[in-house]
Amino acid sequence: MINRMNPSVKFVMITVSMIAMAFFFNPWTPLVFFMGVVLIQLLFATVSWKTWSLMMLPFLLGAVGYFWTTLVFGNEDSTLGTALSLSFRVLAFSSLSLLFVFTTKPVEFILSLMQQLKLSPKIAYSILVGYQFLPVLKDEFFQIRQAQQLRGVEVPKSPVKRVTAMRHLLIPMLAGAVRKAERTAFAMEARGFTGEGDRDFYRKITIGRADAAGSLLILVLLCGSMAAGWLL
Amino acid sequence: MRLQSVMHMRNVISLQDVSFRFPDDEMPVFEHVNFDVRAGERVVITGPSGCGKSSLLYLLNRLYPENCDGIVSGTVELFEQPASMYVPGEINRRIATVFQDPDSQFCMQTVEEELAFTLENMKVPAAEINARIQKVLKETGLESFRESVIQTLSGGQKQRVATACAWVLEPEILLLDEPLTHLDPVTAQDFVKWLKHLHEKGNLTVIAIDHQVDMWGDFFDREWQMVSGKHLEPALIREPLRSGEVAIDAKELAVEPIVSPAAFTLKKGEIAVLAGPNGSGKSTLIKALCGLKSTGGSVSPERIGYVPQSPEFLFITKSVREELSFGGGSGIDEVLKRLYLDEVSESNPFAVSHGQKRRTAIGAMLCDGRPVITMDEPTAGQDAAALRELENLIIARANEGVTFLIATHDMTFADRIADSLLLLCAGELSGPYLPQTVWKNHELLERHHLLAPSGGESCDQPHESFG
Repeated sequence: MINRMNPSVKFVMITVSMIAMAFFFNPWTPLVFFMGVVLIQLLFATVSWKTWSLMMLPFLLGAVGYFWTTLVFGNEDSTLGTALSLSFRVLAFSSLSLLFVFTTKPVEFILSLMQQLKLSPKIAYSILVGYQFLPVLKDEFFQIRQAQQLRGVEVPKSPVKRVTAMRHLLIPMLAGAVRKAERTAFAMEARGFTGEGDRDFYRKITIGRADAAGSLLILVLLCGSMAAGWLL
Repeated sequence: MRLQSVMHMRNVISLQDVSFRFPDDEMPVFEHVNFDVRAGERVVITGPSGCGKSSLLYLLNRLYPENCDGIVSGTVELFEQPASMYVPGEINRRIATVFQDPDSQFCMQTVEEELAFTLENMKVPAAEINARIQKVLKETGLESFRESVIQTLSGGQKQRVATACAWVLEPEILLLDEPLTHLDPVTAQDFVKWLKHLHEKGNLTVIAIDHQVDMWGDFFDREWQMVSGKHLEPALIREPLRSGEVAIDAKELAVEPIVSPAAFTLKKGEIAVLAGPNGSGKSTLIKALCGLKSTGGSVSPERIGYVPQSPEFLFITKSVREELSFGGGSGIDEVLKRLYLDEVSESNPFAVSHGQKRRTAIGAMLCDGRPVITMDEPTAGQDAAALRELENLIIARANEGVTFLIATHDMTFADRIADSLLLLCAGELSGPYLPQTVWKNHELLERHHLLAPSGGESCDQPHESFG
């Protein structure tokens, strides 16, 4: 069901939940919310749990880190409660974001932003083109790196130097990207793209029952976790 | 016959005394151009690179002058109305364009989405879009590609999809901006055949730009030379190979699963051409030779030069001179002089002309002490003058004892410079062959998607040339 939700509706609901969460400083609200999100994911969404766990790992470490530093280095006001609250909040936010990322197709998200939230087609299609370019740019990146290796440019060991050495790669890559972008812009315009707002879409991203149900579910969870914060 | 019926048609395009220049340039791109096209005509525009063919084409589909703030004088009439009368996007329904680069003219993922994007732009009601897509796919024979992801298609397929995207608009004029440049010769010929077949379904006007008019057979009614070709520099004389010294020796060179184990040797000063269909592993083989891919087998010497299709991929420094001296080599000044780079030696290598970039890349390889140089597709999109310059550059170096291995589809080019041919098909290397024996061997040519050089057919039927 979560997978079938309209991306814009999902996006709005998730943003609202995050903002609401930000006002609760007790440990229970984010904890209940986090568990609820995992439960929703378990029951109503198809997600690869393996990838999910891998992506969650850094956040989990972050949460533990928060907990530890707040407890040890925090001032006298900070108690076990605030430490737990902070780390659960990290978990709640990250699980919610991942729920969105794992159940939404990027292209559909952009199309939906354009259709439901009236994002300008100029911006929306630019993002779509950029998305198509990513694999091409990746190829080019490796080609340039190979060519420069041949000339004896070593890949430095220290990460800082590695980042500064990137500029050698970026100049030819940007030069190529600018040319490509111009060509694509021309091709789009030659096919009559003007960026005007009044388009009739072939592939309509609709709002349906799944959205009502999904939104309700998220709202119930949000209210439930708030209530948990007050009661416990 | 066709031509006669065309004679009575109205002008769909009419340029009178048109000059065009970019706002920042003092020199015009072209001046005082007169050019008429009648409805139903098929015209090819030729002329050397940089003579403004593309700019002219962009005036016809209204990409210019708006997009570059270009300055146009004279009258440009499209369908007997001044071009400036059309609002943005309006003319593109009637005049559709297919561009040169198959990789940068799409913005959606699948063929269906791309076609729908085009129709949406034209404000075709969503309910009709499905029928229109089905119709165009049927007409173009691309039905099986409807759900295909465009990035995974081959160059030839992409150009067909691009043409379908133009075709779906049901235009009156089709503009083609060097659509064959990135295709191998056999794929290019298939594309022309396909286009011809498609063209029979609706008698529209076609205006194309292309260097290689030969490739199109009898497709065009007329060729319009925008500017007569630049004076070609005289071809250098190739000196016969003197020493039998082996310059490069590759043994059991393999990149699983792309290139099967291959072995060959080239002599000092030899020019070898590596040919084969797109995707047969030419680039991979070359990278393997240069040690850029982990391989089985061995190559001696270890240091082999490499000039990618975009020479700027190699550039690291801020001036041509530094680029040459980057590898710590000596004799920079001499190499600069030999490659005619002294006048740009202090310029930024990214800012010089394409020919100069290529010379800089070769110079850098020579200064790095790499007497064997591999080049990846240096001929794509080059006009006659640039090709001659490239040939002379290679021949002059080879005469000095530099060994070349050049990947290219252009067999006319190969015929002019190659001492030997290496052929690659699905990762299987064969050769070296003598070029002349390959031109006569139809089976070899066909298997490797090659066309004998223009004029090469005369080898087969020597009697015809006397007729």
